[in-house]
Amino acid sequence: MADLESRSQKLRALIAEFIQGRLAAKLEKLVADDPKYALLTAQYQYDAWLESAARRVGQIQSVTHTLKAIHPDAKGSNLYVSPGTLKAHSLLGSHDLAGGFQADVVGNAAALDVYKFLKLTDEHGNTLLELALADDAAFKAALSKDAAKAEQWLAAFASLLGSDGALASHPQAKQIYWLTGEDPCNDLHYQVLAPLYASSLAHEVFTRINQHRFGEEAKAAREARRNGHFHETGYCDYPNLAVQKLGGTKPQNISQLNSERGGNNYLLASLPPSWDTSLLTPPLKTDSVFKRFGRRPAVRQTVKALQGLLKAEPPKNLRTRETRFSLTSAVVDELLQFGAEFWELNPGWSQHPDCRLVEEEIFWLDPYRAKSDLDFAERRQQADWPQQIRERFANWLNAQLHKAGLPVGDPEFAQWQKEVKLDDDWRHWLKHLQQELDQLQKELSHD
Amino acid sequence: MTNSPETGLLVVPRIKVQNANCISSPMTWGFPAITAFTGLMTALERKTHGHTGLQFLSVGVICHHFEAQVTQGGYTRAFRLTRNPVDKNGSTAAIVEEGRAHLEITLVFGVAGQGMAADPQQYAQMAQYCADTLATMRIAGGSVLAAKPGTRAFYQKPQLVSLGDSTEARHKIFRTLSRQWLPGFALVCRDDLLQARLEELQQTNPAASRLDAWLDLSSLQIKPLQQQGTDKAQWQARRPPGWLVPIPVGFGALSDPYAPGQVANARDPRVPFRFVESLYSIGQWLSPHRLEGHQQLLWYPVTLPEEGLYRCLNEFTVETSHI
Repeated sequence: MADLESRSQKLRALIAEFIQGRLAAKLEKLVADDPKYALLTAQYQYDAWLESAARRVGQIQSVTHTLKAIHPDAKGSNLYVSPGTLKAHSLLGSHDLAGGFQADVVGNAAALDVYKFLKLTDEHGNTLLELALADDAAFKAALSKDAAKAEQWLAAFASLLGSDGALASHPQAKQIYWLTGEDPCNDLHYQVLAPLYASSLAHEVFTRINQHRFGEEAKAAREARRNGHFHETGYCDYPNLAVQKLGGTKPQNISQLNSERGGNNYLLASLPPSWDTSLLTPPLKTDSVFKRFGRRPAVRQTVKALQGLLKAEPPKNLRTRETRFSLTSAVVDELLQFGAEFWELNPGWSQHPDCRLVEEEIFWLDPYRAKSDLDFAERRQQADWPQQIRERFANWLNAQLHKAGLPVGDPEFAQWQKEVKLDDDWRHWLKHLQQELDQLQKELSHD
Repeated sequence: MTNSPETGLLVVPRIKVQNANCISSPMTWGFPAITAFTGLMTALERKTHGHTGLQFLSVGVICHHFEAQVTQGGYTRAFRLTRNPVDKNGSTAAIVEEGRAHLEITLVFGVAGQGMAADPQQYAQMAQYCADTLATMRIAGGSVLAAKPGTRAFYQKPQLVSLGDSTEARHKIFRTLSRQWLPGFALVCRDDLLQARLEELQQTNPAASRLDAWLDLSSLQIKPLQQQGTDKAQWQARRPPGWLVPIPVGFGALSDPYAPGQVANARDPRVPFRFVESLYSIGQWLSPHRLEGHQQLLWYPVTLPEEGLYRCLNEFTVETSHI
């Protein structure tokens, strides 16, 4: 009993301090003899403030998923769904926040002081909101001496998490049809799914990305890189990260956490590999396209990574094998894409007087010329150009690795290549390339 | 899925889409969400089923060209916005940021049903009918543009092909088709990589979460290589191998389904209503010739109402035998 009494007193002191603090902040802005002075002092009396807070708490709601972030004019249900109560599965969603999360607040921004009040923590680290939800006797006693009043206020504060009554969506909210039955042509075989904005999850992502961008450790790492020094962990970048503004100049109208994020919503990029087709020109005045191939950023990057891998002599484990396999396959992929890009040009482009490409490359890059140029078709049919392209490609890549200071062609390298099993990858991918080119040869002869 | 449910493939090549929505979810931007294409598939079936008798089961997408309307330069991208009509009082409407992109894509639909039993000589006409219908629809919120005469896109016709009975025949048909999709990249699902990275992170940090793994796969790791005996280091950017991207793959339930009409302002009072959130995984852009069969390309909508999962799934998994 004495324990209850002492806890209750501590809580009273905590609450009184909070109210005094807010009053002091308000009074600071007034001149000494302002008539509002007395009025404010009356409003910030212990009982008076709590009574108003218990009334105003109905204007705000603690949530994890918000609607206004979807569209600022949408008015409808926001939800509080504790991540721990969501079913776990193998995709990323709010259920991954079970370890800890920050709830958001929506509603009248003028009532946000009540939320700050409910976020106050007692000596054990429990928030007042948690105490209200637990129907804590000491907190109840601290609120008011009048038991009925205390009971009523406590219930009001606990309602912060509750839903705001009737469930509703809105014409400006996203609502999509999802086929749940068998027959797409039957209107009733659908459910309407209404996606809400996972604010708590977005906040966690925002916090982490900012840590990676602006955190002390990231700063130190970036600094070390600029000076060419070593750093324990390194850092990470998010290429093509986009910032979407939610709520314009009034982010607080969307939600409390949105306001804390300054209205910035981070979007990670899922861009397809892209090339600028308008820059594609016929390869004239050159005898081979491999130089142009080597200048492609993706190729340069992959070759560099491959060089790095070969030089670093990494441990022989699954990861190394996977990396190696992906890198070699990426070069071959890129070559096939590269070749196919020339098919977008008008067939017959290689008839230009300035075209000095060796003929096997023309067979490969301008195959559709065969449709109008019968001589060409005949020569193409006779030649074993896929084999020749394959060899040219192998020579080109060897030259790239040689440039990096790797002893390509030496017996030493051959031995080493065997050790890292690069040879196997090569055989695999060169065979694959050959098949692709053979197929291209066949395809046209069937027409 | 060795016995695939689809008996044919409908290929609509080289569709130009202007101003498609490139904000694919609350946490990603870039290529439109795969749910935009499964939704398109359902809408297309509703419009064409009466005429063709085709059932649409799955959809694959190959991207030939992508141009986002965003600002370049600086660390982050911002969306180029449109100026919208004034509101009813004549004042400027609030800006709701929308992202737009122009695309050129090939869509491949896995189809089945009575339509496939038609005389194969009618296939071309059926394919053309579906393509013509598609041209009148919105794709991921964007409009479809007609191909310009004289371009490769103009000569490539929509195709409906029967997959045949034997595995070998299917394989052959798919290979011939997939070569026509170059240059381009197909989007496949890599749930497996997300899980693998999570397990890998948990080996050093047991508290690592799926969110850590997802962010890790979405970022560029820049790490130093120490040079022996000095404090100098060479720095290298490393990305996980393959063109991996964070993508939304569907929705997870936040509530139980509500009975028809129970939620105010629902779009359709005749069917159940459910609050959901976007769910994320990892996708990979892959050269179409790397795919070994149509199941690796196609995405299937999967509904597990009990689990609260409404997602799209793709059967791509790396064949590890030759790794």
